[in-house]
Amino acid sequence: MAIVKEAYKALEDVVGAAYLSDDPVICEGYRSGPAGYEAGLGYERVMTKIPGAVVMPKTTEEVQKIVKICNRYCVPYVPYSTGFYGPRSHCHMENELLVDLKRLNDFEFDEKHWYAVVGSGVVYSQFQEECLRRGGYVVIGGGGAQASVIANLIGDGWSPLSHRIGLPHRRILGTEMVLPDGEILRMGSLAVGDDWFWGDGIGPDLRGLLRGYTGLRGCLGIVTKMAVKVLPFQPERLQPKGISPNTALALPEKRVKWINYIMPSKETQVKAMYEIGKAEIAGAVTKVPLFWRAIAKAECKEEFWDIWLKETPETIANFHIVRVLLIGFTSEEQLEYDENVLNDIMMELGGQPRPTKPSDESWIKNADSAGMWLMCGSYVSVDYVIETLKQATEHGPVYAELKKKYTPPLMPDHGDPGWFQSFELGYQGYSEFLIYWDQDEDTTGVDHFYLETSKMNINHRFYTSLIGPHQPMYLTGPKYGPNYHEWMLKIKNEFDPLWTCHPPVPFAHDEFVERAPWMHELKTWETPKEFPYPQWVKERLAAEAATFRAGLKSEAKVKK
Amino acid sequence: MPTTKVNLETTDLSNYRYDMSRCIKCKGCYWVEHTYMPGVKFSTRCPSNVWNDFDSYGAFGKMRIGTALVEGKLDWTPKLLEIVYADPLCGACDVGCKRNLDLEIGLSLEAMRVKAVKDGAGPMPAHKKIAENIAATHNVFGSAHNDRKKWLTKDIQVAEKADVLYFVGCTASYTNNEIAQATAKILNATKTPFMLMPDEWCCGNTLQSVGMLDEARELAKRNIEMVKSTGAKTVLLSCAEGYRMWKVEYPKLLNIATADLPFTVVHLTEFADSALKQGSLRPTKPVNVRLTYHDSCSISRLADPWTPWSGERGWMGTVSPRLKRRRGTQGLYGQPRNVISSIPGVEFVEMIRARENAFCCGAGRGTKEAFPTLASSSAKHRLEEVKEIGAEVLVSACPWCKNNFAQAVKEDGNHVKVMDFSELVLASLDA
Ligand SMILES: Cc1cc2nc3c(=O)[nH]c(=O)nc-3n(C[C@H](O)[C@@H](O)[C@@H](O)COP(=O)(O)OP(=O)(O)OC[C@H]3O[C@@H](n4cnc5c(N)ncnc54)[C@H](O)[C@@H]3O)c2cc1C
Ligand code: SF4
Ligand code: SF4
Repeated sequence: MAIVKEAYKALEDVVGAAYLSDDPVICEGYRSGPAGYEAGLGYERVMTKIPGAVVMPKTTEEVQKIVKICNRYCVPYVPYSTGFYGPRSHCHMENELLVDLKRLNDFEFDEKHWYAVVGSGVVYSQFQEECLRRGGYVVIGGGGAQASVIANLIGDGWSPLSHRIGLPHRRILGTEMVLPDGEILRMGSLAVGDDWFWGDGIGPDLRGLLRGYTGLRGCLGIVTKMAVKVLPFQPERLQPKGISPNTALALPEKRVKWINYIMPSKETQVKAMYEIGKAEIAGAVTKVPLFWRAIAKAECKEEFWDIWLKETPETIANFHIVRVLLIGFTSEEQLEYDENVLNDIMMELGGQPRPTKPSDESWIKNADSAGMWLMCGSYVSVDYVIETLKQATEHGPVYAELKKKYTPPLMPDHGDPGWFQSFELGYQGYSEFLIYWDQDEDTTGVDHFYLETSKMNINHRFYTSLIGPHQPMYLTGPKYGPNYHEWMLKIKNEFDPLWTCHPPVPFAHDEFVERAPWMHELKTWETPKEFPYPQWVKERLAAEAATFRAGLKSEAKVKK
Repeated sequence: MPTTKVNLETTDLSNYRYDMSRCIKCKGCYWVEHTYMPGVKFSTRCPSNVWNDFDSYGAFGKMRIGTALVEGKLDWTPKLLEIVYADPLCGACDVGCKRNLDLEIGLSLEAMRVKAVKDGAGPMPAHKKIAENIAATHNVFGSAHNDRKKWLTKDIQVAEKADVLYFVGCTASYTNNEIAQATAKILNATKTPFMLMPDEWCCGNTLQSVGMLDEARELAKRNIEMVKSTGAKTVLLSCAEGYRMWKVEYPKLLNIATADLPFTVVHLTEFADSALKQGSLRPTKPVNVRLTYHDSCSISRLADPWTPWSGERGWMGTVSPRLKRRRGTQGLYGQPRNVISSIPGVEFVEMIRARENAFCCGAGRGTKEAFPTLASSSAKHRLEEVKEIGAEVLVSACPWCKNNFAQAVKEDGNHVKVMDFSELVLASLDA
């Protein structure tokens, strides 16, 4: 399969033959699955396609020209920075163009004003090291060091370090974006000059549109450059040590230190987090799930199971850890002060310190996120919530209860209620619920669980971040809006009237439920007779859905 | 729970179906390990994907392509062959991936080549020529077999019979005599009697690397038998690729463990390090240079010993019996550094990407012959790093690296001097 010849030729004129290909082998290398984030599930199998062609622009101007060509010839395209973030980063239509942004890798650090302008190809560990070298730091999102800074910041952007650093929206400064029609949008102070220093800028702040709440998954244009705020850290070097796989950053203990506390109860766990925030100490405060510790301890997959299967629902229910990262931002004395305050809080609440290694593997450079796939091979976060610390401990057990029904195929996790942490010095709490399975099993149960979580949130009136393109819009929109799906549609139509940019996102999950027969029994909400796409998208999607149904039929025949 | 029988034979790509199909696109195989990430410069470790930016040239792309191959969804085309063979099989992806996961990426890449050969599509024409050379003249160059020992000079003492057998290899025997001579002189200087193969033939590195396993196996058998006949207890190599062949690939080809070999396999860097510790190697002559060391893949991340394994894969992809994965932790990382640092006058400076994160020179395992531009661009990229750290001399412990770097230096008019480890050590010994 390939994109229209005229469009291909025009694209070749823009980037040159070396950076454009429709060779089937090259395109196969850009397949979303079979594994990865959310891969192996119905959404990935039904909704993703290998690209019709792949293009690798080097400059914003090239991106603009590419997008304009796509508009001219009705070629759907998807922005792709590293492709790590699962099916939604990949083509959803046949003959789609995948715009691989890795060559947009400019990096400029403004030493005076402490921000850096990054291109979409710059990943977090690169950025973090550039910051650390200068005595600064950024938050590497939990997704890991290998994620594109821009791709992460336009959707997510948090980790335990957000305890102090705050929400990602505020770290996005001047931003340059190619809109779905190829025009340039400059945001923040960049709108009125060539200075990147300010995020809000004059006039309306469009960062809300850029991000939505947890991202629009590439359906509203291509961010080509972004200035990201850098925060002051401390001056001493975090020394990398060891040979892979046993590597870590050695911490200068008088300046940077992890301490784990075992708390007597869930209530004291949450209270400790609040108190730490109130006292305005620490750089990270988090509760990690027990199985992460098993991943860290295990030398291999099999050993993980040796360790994990010794746990019981009781050990999980009684595991009340609070991990605290102390940072002597200004001096050793400041760390000492923070530690004294922390000890007072913990003494009062009965927290028992546990020995920790004077090193960091997980959060400062975040080299570990791929470990999520160690034990089962398949993984997705079914929900993440930015609300209060207290809600995390209420929401988690409800999740755990629902999960039981779908275990197996889900991993036996002994009722783990997810993990949570403090944001913005305890003013907010972040919680996340993760699930694991083996994609070679029948994954219908996992597909169902994913959708059922959305209904569970609605029924229990829980707040959730996984709305928008993550779940069917016609299910969540009326409930969280009452009409945010309509607003989303208006915005999409305004910015991308032709819907060339990553169709049918943000309605792709709705499309998936329609196409996948095993999802129909869960469809309890109303949808319009026809989804509101432009005609060309409608026609092509209808044809693709028909092909998919025919494929299912012949598969069923073969099985018989 | 149904289980699948599986083993580590690269002759059957479906043995790696699970590994290939579980690649999560985290690109831990492309970037320098994040803990060691040096910033925006020199941040990658995959020469193949630096040479060509499409994902399909990185291990993540190749795992997807490999999965399609095993499922019969792709036909062999020139592009597919390029993707499979424009790759020095440097192992950086394998150790990168195995930091967090248990996937056999390196072996999957090898198995794709074996399939290419089996299907009659591979190897590349340049490799076929080498195979012909080896068949006709027992060396990769097609040079006269009789000239193999021409490197020997009068001042080198070779024993009739000794515990140590120096396997010289094609490159040091024919094109890089200075390495063979320096190695022999170091052995002499440490008073280590050594012998040579009665009739040395190629180690088979290129054959094994490009997937011609039958031919490589024949050489393995022959070479092992010949060493056995000499009664040698140690086979010593100055070539990194040769070291990997003897230590890892021969056992792999013969389905035995490295520990089952009737001799131990030692690289010169290892030998020199123990000689230094025992006091027989005394580097006393100052070598006044600022120098750096390039970890050759075959004595570092590719050098963990081999143990055959077969078993079953079952629930959640776990295997039984237990498989001790080769994660590249047993490479010769410390040994060369100890020796180099002991040389008076040497100002040793590490590369930005070192040890398991080193950026391969791009020459090995059949790459330079079939894809010279990949080899030369990788070497030039690495030389940029040498420049960045201000080293005057670049030392490696493999003739393939030395030649590739030396050629890149020449092409670029770079002022870096390229030396083999053996030459450096020899230079530090009093005559
Ligand atoms: C194991 C795991 C744990 C995670 N935990 C956290 C967490 O704790 N905190 C957190 O912040 N995040 C978390 N995430 C999310 C993750 O960090 C993503 O934000 C990150 O992976 C996105 O970067 P990427 O390079 O993978 O993006 P890609 O996969 O390249 O793209 C992601 C999406 O953005 C779009 N896109 C990419 N580049 C652009 C661009 N330049 N312009 C417009 N659209 C673009 C794509 O179309 C796609 O829809 C987690 C993810 C995983 C897999
Ligand atoms: S090969 Fe391994 S390290 Fe590379 S992307 Fe795949 S899973 Fe990640
Ligand atoms: S072996 Fe080396 S060159 Fe080949 S894919 Fe792996 S890292 Fe890249």
